[in-house]
Amino acid sequence: MATMPQRQTDYRFFSPAIPIVIDNGGFNFRAGWAGESDPRITFRNLVHRPRHKATGEMVTIVGDHDPALLKYFDCTRSSFRSAFDSNVVYQFEIMEYVLDYAFERLGAEGSQVDHPILMTECVCNPLSSRSKMAELLFETYGVPSLAFGVDAAFGYKFNQQKGICSEDGLAICSGFTTSHIIPFVQGEPVLEACSRTNVGGYHVTYYLKQLLSLKYPYHISSITWEKAEELKLEHCYVSFDYAAELKLFQKGTKEAEEKTTFWQLPFIPPSQEEEPSEELARKAALKEKQGQRLRDIAALKKFTRISELESELHDLEDLVQQLEEVEEEEIYPFLSTTVYNSRQELESAVHRVTQSLRKARGEPLESEDKLDTSLSEKYSLINVPDSELTPEQLKEKKKQIFLKTTSEGRLRAKQKKFEEELLREKQNQQDEEKRLENPELYLEETRAKYRDLSERLEQRKRLKTNGSRSNGNNNSSGGIGRGERLNSAQKERMRLLTTAAFDRGKGEDTFGAKDEDWQLYKMMSKDYDDDDDSFEEDEAELGRLTTRLQEIDETFVAKSDMELLQGTLEIPWPRPLTVEDYKMTLGIERFRCPEILFQPNMIGVDQAGLDEMTGVSLRRLSTQYTEAKNSMCNSILVLGGSSIFPGLESRLEAGIRKIRPYLSPLKVVRSMDPVLDSWRGAASYAAAMEFPTQIFSIQDYYEKGESGLRQYQIKYSL
Amino acid sequence: MEPEVVSSEMLLSPIFSFKKVQMGDKYPKGQARGRHWKHLKQILQAENFQAYANGKPNYLNIEAPPSAYPSKKFCDITGFEAPYVDPRTTLRYANPEIFKRIRMLPNEYVQRYLSLRNAAVVLR
Repeated sequence: MATMPQRQTDYRFFSPAIPIVIDNGGFNFRAGWAGESDPRITFRNLVHRPRHKATGEMVTIVGDHDPALLKYFDCTRSSFRSAFDSNVVYQFEIMEYVLDYAFERLGAEGSQVDHPILMTECVCNPLSSRSKMAELLFETYGVPSLAFGVDAAFGYKFNQQKGICSEDGLAICSGFTTSHIIPFVQGEPVLEACSRTNVGGYHVTYYLKQLLSLKYPYHISSITWEKAEELKLEHCYVSFDYAAELKLFQKGTKEAEEKTTFWQLPFIPPSQEEEPSEELARKAALKEKQGQRLRDIAALKKFTRISELESELHDLEDLVQQLEEVEEEEIYPFLSTTVYNSRQELESAVHRVTQSLRKARGEPLESEDKLDTSLSEKYSLINVPDSELTPEQLKEKKKQIFLKTTSEGRLRAKQKKFEEELLREKQNQQDEEKRLENPELYLEETRAKYRDLSERLEQRKRLKTNGSRSNGNNNSSGGIGRGERLNSAQKERMRLLTTAAFDRGKGEDTFGAKDEDWQLYKMMSKDYDDDDDSFEEDEAELGRLTTRLQEIDETFVAKSDMELLQGTLEIPWPRPLTVEDYKMTLGIERFRCPEILFQPNMIGVDQAGLDEMTGVSLRRLSTQYTEAKNSMCNSILVLGGSSIFPGLESRLEAGIRKIRPYLSPLKVVRSMDPVLDSWRGAASYAAAMEFPTQIFSIQDYYEKGESGLRQYQIKYSL
Repeated sequence: MEPEVVSSEMLLSPIFSFKKVQMGDKYPKGQARGRHWKHLKQILQAENFQAYANGKPNYLNIEAPPSAYPSKKFCDITGFEAPYVDPRTTLRYANPEIFKRIRMLPNEYVQRYLSLRNAAVVLR
């Protein structure tokens, strides 16, 4: 990419007869004086209109920019715009900016640009584009005369002058957005037989960029357009035989490894954990202090609670004492002053407070034997047979039975829990022993158990959701409805529903009267899973295994974390990132990207590639030129910015040889400078003496206008 | 304007002596400029090439025809030759390991791979 062109200072030394030669390319814009060997100014044919941060005004920047200076501008709203759509100029406002810049860099002075202009255009430029360009040049810049020509043709003529190709030949020009094949007969291009494919250097770079971004989504921000272009220029090549080259890489041969290049991104290892020991000690001390503080607060709270409870207990005991001293008749009035209504309540309150005191102190809870004594009092009516009781007492008895059964149930549950705890403790102990004696085996076993369990859970989950977890497009399975119906559980449900409906028959719907109906209903319900309980158990087991493994195994990654990382195509990394992860491999991308010039189908462009296009072009030549075909194939010239891939000519030769008759003459050469030859050819054309006969002057424009432009066609051999 | 920006001369001046009509007058501020310009497709439609000069080369005549040979199918993920197609996503793949990876891809990546081949589902 060119650096910023300097302002030329010798504009006034060029007489108004000397034409300015412009190569208006899709990639680079080149301009200079006729007769010189190199263009004076070259820049990217792009315009950028950012907003200046300080003043807020919109400014225009043409061509390459210095990234350092861009910090003064807000580039978020604006993007680089080109005047081209494919290879045709359509945006003349941008074209005007570009021309402004070009003339200014050339040092233009005076009230108008007073030189004839030779401009390049694409093959068979649509009339509206050509006329708008003419209008721009004539009316805004005051140019006295114009000439339009095809850049590839100029390049060919230039090489013909140098003797690289002859007057009958073929030009294969691969540009930025398109590639052309132009046959030449007796020095003139035969435009009827031209052919164009809409694949060019832009598509190659874009393809490379997309391939790398998809392969390394982690580094997607480092793979910019400019970087992809750089990589393309440096590393891409055209393979002589694409299929064979692919096989080399597929087998992973040594040759393939030699051809692979790597791109190492800058890698900064994450800050190490080994800080200087003072730091560590300080941090540890801080943590310790915080822990201590927390513990102090907890102890304080506990202490206050204990003292509160103690005082309460003390009060209650006093009350009990007083109660005992007081006589029978005075119990109620005495008690009414306090909160408690009967002696029993008081005693239960005492009991409660002692229990909580014990808990606060951390002593084990004593069993509920105190309750037992009151139990027998409460349930006194149970043992008495029904016949001896009044109706009220019967009710009382029922209540007591109920209470007893519930409390017994509670007791039983507590006991069971206690037993389970013991069992689990025992199991844990066993596990620990096993682990201590054979850590490796234990690890393996746990891992295997974890794997099995997680797979089972996954399977069940998959059955439930019908397997549509990652790929949202169910198109091939015929839509959601059909997919659901195929599930076995769903099938079972449907069967139940239909049989139930069938059995019911017409008439009243008595579903729900019998108990079996409720069973059926449960089975039919969507939310019911007969595996429900075991499902939950398995999940609990899985959770336990996960924590266990996380404790003892460093390389363990929980399944849920793995799923998050499956967005990338790479293996999830439980280990920290290394230098290796920042290295990008360019293996088959090196020759896969330029291959699209020969096989545009690879990117979905339904046209013939370069070698096939030559056949098409030769076929399009009318029969009068048949004898010339042999001599034409003897001088095939390759030009254009996107033809500098190594190996292109040999590939082209092989491809064209397949199309031509056996042993007919064939020679493919590259032009001297594929990039600059077009401009040089145009410059030497403009410097020729007969050039003024080929121009379209401003008078012609005013007289004939557009139709004059339509018929305008230059003769290339002067 | 910062001095280094001015000295680098990278900004385009709005007024030039050699122009007869300045940019500011031609395109008054406030009007959206982008929509004035016809894109290539519209230009070609407007040209109406069938109306005149049959046989003379024009922009559309010159276009290369589709390839006469059946296209080779290449794997979308790795680039090797791909004899197989995944029916669910229509991605092409070369061997079963790649197939496993395809099935684990989220939909966004599937569409990006397909768009490389111009085969993505475009919702307009």
